[in-house]
Amino acid sequence: MATASPSVFLLMVNGQVESAQFPEYDDLYCKYCFVYGQDWAPTAGLEEGISQITSKSQDVRQALVWNFPIDVTFKSTNPYGWPQIVLSVYGPDVFGNDVVRGYGAVHVPFSPGRHKRTIPMFVPESTSKLQKFTSWFMGRRPEYTDPKVVAQGEGREALQKAVFSVHGLTSPRPLALGHIKGT
Amino acid sequence: MNPREEKVKIITEEFIENDEDADMGRQKRNSKVRRQPRKKQPPTALPKEMVSEESHLGNQPEPVQEEPKTHLLSMTVRRGPRSLPPIPSTSRTGFAEFSMRGRMREKLQAARSKAESALLQEIPTPRPRRLRSPSKKELETEFGTEPGKEVESTQQEIDSRSYSRVKFRDSARKIKPKPQVPPGFPSPEEAYNFFTFSFDPEPEESEEKPKARHRAGTNQEEEEGEEEEPPARGRGKEMDEEELLNGDDAEDFLLGLDHMADDFVAVRPADYESIHDRLQMETEMFFIPSRQTVPTYKKLPENVQPRFLEDEGLYTGVRPEVARTNQNIMENRLLMQDPERRWFGDDGRILALPNPIKPFPSRRPVLTQEQSIKAELETLYKKAVKYVHSSQHMIRSGDHPGNFQLDIDISGLIFTHHPCFSREHVLAAKLAQLYDQYLARHQRNKAKFLTDKLQALRNAVQTGVDPEKPHSSLDTIQKTINEYKSEIRQTRKFRDAEQEKDRTLLKTIIKVWKEMKSLREFQRFTNTPLKLVLRKEKVDQKADEEAYEAEIQAEISELLEEHTEEYAQKMEEYRTSLHQWKAWRKAQRAKKKKRKQAAEDHPDNEIEEPHPEEDLVKPTPPEPTDRAVIEHEVRERAAQSRRRPWEPTLVPELSLAGSVTPSDQCPRAEVSRREDVKKRSVYLKVLFNNKEVSRTVSRPLGADFRVHFGQIFNLQIVNWPESLTLQVYETIGHSSPTLLAEVFLPIPETTVVTGRAPIEEVEFSSNQHVTLDHEGVGSGVPFSFEADGSNQLILMTSGKVSHSVAWAVGENGIPLIPPLSQQNIGFRSALKRADAISSIGTSGLTDMKKLAKWAAESKLDPNDPNNAPLMQLISVATSGESYVPDFFRLEQLQQEFNFVSDQELNRSKRFRLLHLRSQEVPEFRNYKQVPVYDREIMEKVFQDYEKRLRDRSVIETKEHIDTHRAIVAKYLQQVRESVINRFLIAKQYFLLADMIVEEEVPNISILGLSLFKLAEQKRPLRPRRKGRKKVTAQNLSDGDIKLLVNIVRAYDIPVRKLAMSKFQQPSKSSRMFSEKRAASPSTHSPTHNADYPLGQVLVRPFVEVSFQRTVCHTTTAEGPNPSWNEELELPFKAPNGDYSTASLQSVKDIVFINIFDEVLHDVLEDDRERGSGIHTRIERHWLGCVKIPFSTIYFQARIDGTFKIDIPPVLLGYNKERNMILERGFDSVRSLSEGSYITLFITIEPQLVPGESIREKMSNMLKKFESQEDEKLLQATEKFQAECALKFPNRQCLTTVIDISGKTVFITRYLKPLNPPQELLNVYPNNLQATAELVARYVSLIPFLPDTVSFGGICDLWSTSDQFLDLLAGDEEEHAVLLCNYFLSLGKKAWLLMGNAIPEGPTAYVLTWEQGHYLIWNPCSGHFYGQFDTFCPLKNVGCLIGPDNIWFNIQRYDSPLRINFDVTKPKLWKSFFSRSLPYPGLSSVQPEELIYQRSDKAAAAELQDRIEKILKEKIMDWRPRHLTRWNRYCTSTLRHFLPLLEKSQGEDVEDDHRAELLKQLGDYRFSGFPLHMPYSEVKPLIDAVYSTGVHNINVPNVEFALAVYIHPYPKNVLSVWIYVASLIRNR
Repeated sequence: MATASPSVFLLMVNGQVESAQFPEYDDLYCKYCFVYGQDWAPTAGLEEGISQITSKSQDVRQALVWNFPIDVTFKSTNPYGWPQIVLSVYGPDVFGNDVVRGYGAVHVPFSPGRHKRTIPMFVPESTSKLQKFTSWFMGRRPEYTDPKVVAQGEGREALQKAVFSVHGLTSPRPLALGHIKGT
Repeated sequence: MNPREEKVKIITEEFIENDEDADMGRQKRNSKVRRQPRKKQPPTALPKEMVSEESHLGNQPEPVQEEPKTHLLSMTVRRGPRSLPPIPSTSRTGFAEFSMRGRMREKLQAARSKAESALLQEIPTPRPRRLRSPSKKELETEFGTEPGKEVESTQQEIDSRSYSRVKFRDSARKIKPKPQVPPGFPSPEEAYNFFTFSFDPEPEESEEKPKARHRAGTNQEEEEGEEEEPPARGRGKEMDEEELLNGDDAEDFLLGLDHMADDFVAVRPADYESIHDRLQMETEMFFIPSRQTVPTYKKLPENVQPRFLEDEGLYTGVRPEVARTNQNIMENRLLMQDPERRWFGDDGRILALPNPIKPFPSRRPVLTQEQSIKAELETLYKKAVKYVHSSQHMIRSGDHPGNFQLDIDISGLIFTHHPCFSREHVLAAKLAQLYDQYLARHQRNKAKFLTDKLQALRNAVQTGVDPEKPHSSLDTIQKTINEYKSEIRQTRKFRDAEQEKDRTLLKTIIKVWKEMKSLREFQRFTNTPLKLVLRKEKVDQKADEEAYEAEIQAEISELLEEHTEEYAQKMEEYRTSLHQWKAWRKAQRAKKKKRKQAAEDHPDNEIEEPHPEEDLVKPTPPEPTDRAVIEHEVRERAAQSRRRPWEPTLVPELSLAGSVTPSDQCPRAEVSRREDVKKRSVYLKVLFNNKEVSRTVSRPLGADFRVHFGQIFNLQIVNWPESLTLQVYETIGHSSPTLLAEVFLPIPETTVVTGRAPIEEVEFSSNQHVTLDHEGVGSGVPFSFEADGSNQLILMTSGKVSHSVAWAVGENGIPLIPPLSQQNIGFRSALKRADAISSIGTSGLTDMKKLAKWAAESKLDPNDPNNAPLMQLISVATSGESYVPDFFRLEQLQQEFNFVSDQELNRSKRFRLLHLRSQEVPEFRNYKQVPVYDREIMEKVFQDYEKRLRDRSVIETKEHIDTHRAIVAKYLQQVRESVINRFLIAKQYFLLADMIVEEEVPNISILGLSLFKLAEQKRPLRPRRKGRKKVTAQNLSDGDIKLLVNIVRAYDIPVRKLAMSKFQQPSKSSRMFSEKRAASPSTHSPTHNADYPLGQVLVRPFVEVSFQRTVCHTTTAEGPNPSWNEELELPFKAPNGDYSTASLQSVKDIVFINIFDEVLHDVLEDDRERGSGIHTRIERHWLGCVKIPFSTIYFQARIDGTFKIDIPPVLLGYNKERNMILERGFDSVRSLSEGSYITLFITIEPQLVPGESIREKMSNMLKKFESQEDEKLLQATEKFQAECALKFPNRQCLTTVIDISGKTVFITRYLKPLNPPQELLNVYPNNLQATAELVARYVSLIPFLPDTVSFGGICDLWSTSDQFLDLLAGDEEEHAVLLCNYFLSLGKKAWLLMGNAIPEGPTAYVLTWEQGHYLIWNPCSGHFYGQFDTFCPLKNVGCLIGPDNIWFNIQRYDSPLRINFDVTKPKLWKSFFSRSLPYPGLSSVQPEELIYQRSDKAAAAELQDRIEKILKEKIMDWRPRHLTRWNRYCTSTLRHFLPLLEKSQGEDVEDDHRAELLKQLGDYRFSGFPLHMPYSEVKPLIDAVYSTGVHNINVPNVEFALAVYIHPYPKNVLSVWIYVASLIRNR
């Protein structure tokens, strides 16, 4: 019986990237992707997504609302490497270049049900004032080689001296529905 | 639930009917029931009564359910029986449903229609349903373990299964404590009767008693259980009956039913019950608590007065708000229910906690998911609000500092002493001060408070009951009483002291007033308007006296008690001491006696005996206290400190009603004083953080020495204030102001805001000395009121500033207070407020035990909300949780997590798999989806791994065929593993640049470049490749990485010879050594080309790139110099899907770039069809290939250049023809090249960052490796390298390398003349050049294995030449070193040349000095190039290394074409050893001599056969759909030919060979070629054969030929020749 199909458990994630608070920026869009361990494999749904551009709401909250849906199903044999959602937010700078405005990651909730998470978003800062200026001028801010880095442990030591600034908060609302399927 | 509900309904109906039956057929039943021994109490009640009881039955469940709430736990056993009543009905349903449903239904149906209306009228609610409710309800409660549930479940079971019935009956029997009924099966009739009737009599019995109980208003729960049993009994019987039904008698019973039908259905007139009766009954039944207030005496035990703890000074807390009526109802109810009055406190009220909320949850929060989701899904409408930036936000954000405001209100100044005070003023000030004191004391009235407290305490002692705990044990009471007593003592002391103080104060006031009056009289004028009036208050003398007396008596009695206690204690002491004394005396006497005897014996000694113990005095008994004495004492004290009862109460009143004598009536001195006062004026400066921020206006000093300012200063501040100071300045006349004093104002708490701040007074005093010449007393000067100058006083200028400091409130009501974070000072002051902290000191805060101790000592009222946080802290700290062990445990939770023993854990396959994976064991690295269960893990998963572990020492020959090589491979593997383990740490090392992409620090060149870019053409004519973003090898997955191969063009592709053309002898070019390096003149005459028919293309080449078995090819171009300019994209797949840097570096795959010629064959057999169709067959002929290892591409990131195509020495059917047209014009240039060339650009997309960062990092780490080199030398190497890197960072400079054991070795130690195999030297004994070539060939035959592959790119390990020959594998360095050593031994001048070449990148070549020119040798291919050869793969030169020195290239250029290799010129070459650092004569690490074994020819022959066999099998495998025929004849021909090729080193045999082939295979079209390579493993051979694509010919009648020849060289170096060919018979 074991040979027929290996036992896995499924993790169904659906939810949405609801809104963000970026007091300084407007017209942002966001990308999401998942980082998961070796024992995990996506079985259905989209692993990556890029949202529409949204503008700030005109009310008190000044929220950037995307309501961008996430729907993905993973199968796994091991809770180790539980998926994380990695979000990165981009928006135009003064010159119209697309510039990263924030990175953030959060684990998919461990318990089924509705969950709301608010992630602080941060970006790496230039290492010097001069670079800050040139990067601003050229529209090429420092960014991660890969947004997935924020969800991983390796290479953190390289970031020891790096400076980050928090620009805003993003609220994805992942809704995890998991069940163990024994076969 | 539906069927169940239905069932319930049926039950309802039937039950109703049965009830009716019970009523109707009562008479009949009675007789029957009597016969049954079980029915002990036959029903005798009238039908009417029955009804009322029935209604009880209906009501009963409610009280039952309500009452036992508090006894739920104790009741569990009884619970089952109690909820039993519904059971009979249910089982009856089962009965009805099963056995007699049909018949019953028919009959019932008829009856029902008649009876129903009447029934419903009478009993509007279906009772049985209500009867069921208790058990059902209970199921819904949290108490899920109750038997009620069991009952319910049994009910269900009863319906269906008989076995459960039996079981249930058993349980029913168990419940039944004393079976009153003899067990036995009743007759069916009996049973049926019972079944239909049994239910009613029993409840009747049970209901009577509760009713009675209700009337009595008592609660006797013990009885209840008993009463509740009958139903159980009944049910037990009924079970028997049911069993019967299933038994044999069932038939009879059912038959009998027909006769009984009349009993079952009955008609009856509707009963009427008057509302009056009903009400009466209800009043009898129900208890409705009255709403009236319960008189207190009822709530308290007899003869007890209510106590009010609040009045006694104890904190009781605030009771929760409950409506008065509700309280009354509850009280009445409790009085009824609980006669012991446990619910009432001493004050006659219901006991209540001040805060009913428990500090911790006692129950898990219930998860109501559905509800919450529903609630959350509700949409909330929120009106759109226009966003207004509120100032609150601004404060919070901290963006707008300076908005905080401190309001300082300075209302005025009062001098309590001033130099200008007259004597009267001094007295007046004193009087005023005393009066203030008096007022303050009066307001507090501490004496009264203490008196009251004393009273309360006395009461408490009298009642002898602890107010907190009504039922505490005796000794606690005793303890509390003792406590009270001690407290009484203390309180009394305090009170006496207070009273005395009051009295003395009053006395002093009067005395001062008297003094003042006398002074006024004396000086005959008054300066102050003060006037003291003493008001006498009449008191009721008698009552007063009584109270006084009572007080004294009480005190006396207490004292007496104390004294008696003391006396008792003393007596005790006395007794013990007396006892001791007596004992002592006895002993003494005994001694004396002895002594006497002794004295009698020796009379002389008598006198000498001293009596040292005589001093023990007989203790005196303590005096019993005399009441009179105590009374006397008490009275004395009372007289002293207390107002005597007959004295009236004196109340002083100070008024300013007096008149001040005008100045003209005063003496001169006084007038001058007054004038002086008038001259003076005062103002205040406000200092914030020691900086003056504002000052008040200057106000003149009034005659009363009060100054009124009434000014408010608003200080706009940014930070939390540090200090706030007022400075008092006084100006006299027009002179400059003098600073009188400084007043420090406290910084207000954050809660103090404007409008709420009280006016406070702060005292100040000055130390100035002022002597005045008028009546003023001055300051700091002694003066006296007495005439004789005695009793001198020295007064200092002092006063009070009345002010208020508060935080301002903003427009929107928000206090403008700096955020708390700034408020470090404020925080400390807040801490100080809680005196607990100040009393223990700050350290006490951390020491909880100390704090708790303090709290216990100071008798903190734990109920006082003021102390609540403190008490909570203490309770938490001392609750035992904070047990601190004396030891430290490293993993204190380890024990808890050891859920399974280690052995078991190790046995788990899954755990093992996970463990191995995390260790990155190669077999399991990147293992995906480790199965969940052990049973799903196959044993074979581990087999490979275990086998490898087993085989570590065992040499496996299957794969390698040659044992020696197997050993070597094993050894290499082990070395590699150890090295990798060594560097495991550094592998994960990342630099910031790997993680974050950031623009570099711009310098001028970049800025200039970027500026230049702006002006750049958008589409330049000659585009250049731009640098791309680098990607660190992480987060990559399959398909992310692509290999881009851009094939630009090729030169000098071999061209076809006409197949039909006759054998022709081209002018053979026997190239001499000298010709090769120089521009050799063309030996080809253009005349051959005449053979080609016009319009026929010479060659139609295309390029096929195969990588990891993916094949891509370009379009077909034409001519020997084709230009494709095409980009091919090949996917890259890392081994095991592991894209880590280490894994990528160890990829051994090779990119094969094969050049083919596309040949079109006309297959039309019939010429007549030529017009209608084209039938051609495409054949591809392999022309040559270029092999580039992936590791090279990976490390180079891009490979751009022209490569020599590896063309087999014999290419049948092709000729390297020179294009005559081209050759004519560019002869000199063209002819430089020997072979064909191809221009390529290869890169990886995205660009991967190779392990460079690791290398950088490693270089530091490598230094840590032990080295046997001299420390000085190492320092020098570092210096040298640093200098070189500074000048030419791109040029390779090597000084030290790491040998195979990991030690750092100076590089020149590797170079030493070493003897080449004698065999090779013997071939051309006279021709040095030929020998050199042969030696180079020998070296190149040693397989190439890059270090990056073997050692994961971590470091470059250099092995010595003997190691290299033993390993038979190595990279450029080893080859170069060996070749260099051979050349040195041949007597050449040779150097190791470090530089960059294509495609290898950084590499090592060998440079030799021949007569007059330099030669550059590629050690891996054995080829050599002249210095000025344009096609030399070496592109730049970094340094040269000789056996005794290192020279770094410091010339401007590094291309070998443009540099001078003369190392003697110090301007061109920077040498390591120079005059300043002479060569120390380093010994070589190389062996003295290389020993070569003769190669084993037999073994080689055997290997040859095996390889041939394997290859043949492979070719057949590759052609699964076709038949593969082998042409033996051709094969043998080829086999003979291969040794010739080896002998001639693959040169110049082509034409002979062709001739021979043609001769032998004349009628075959032949295409094939020999492949030559060094031998390492079988796999590269297979790959090479595969890449030629010989097997791809799909012509039906194709035949194949394959021959292998292995030529063994010394030291087991094998040269492998493979000849593959396809033959097609010509027709």
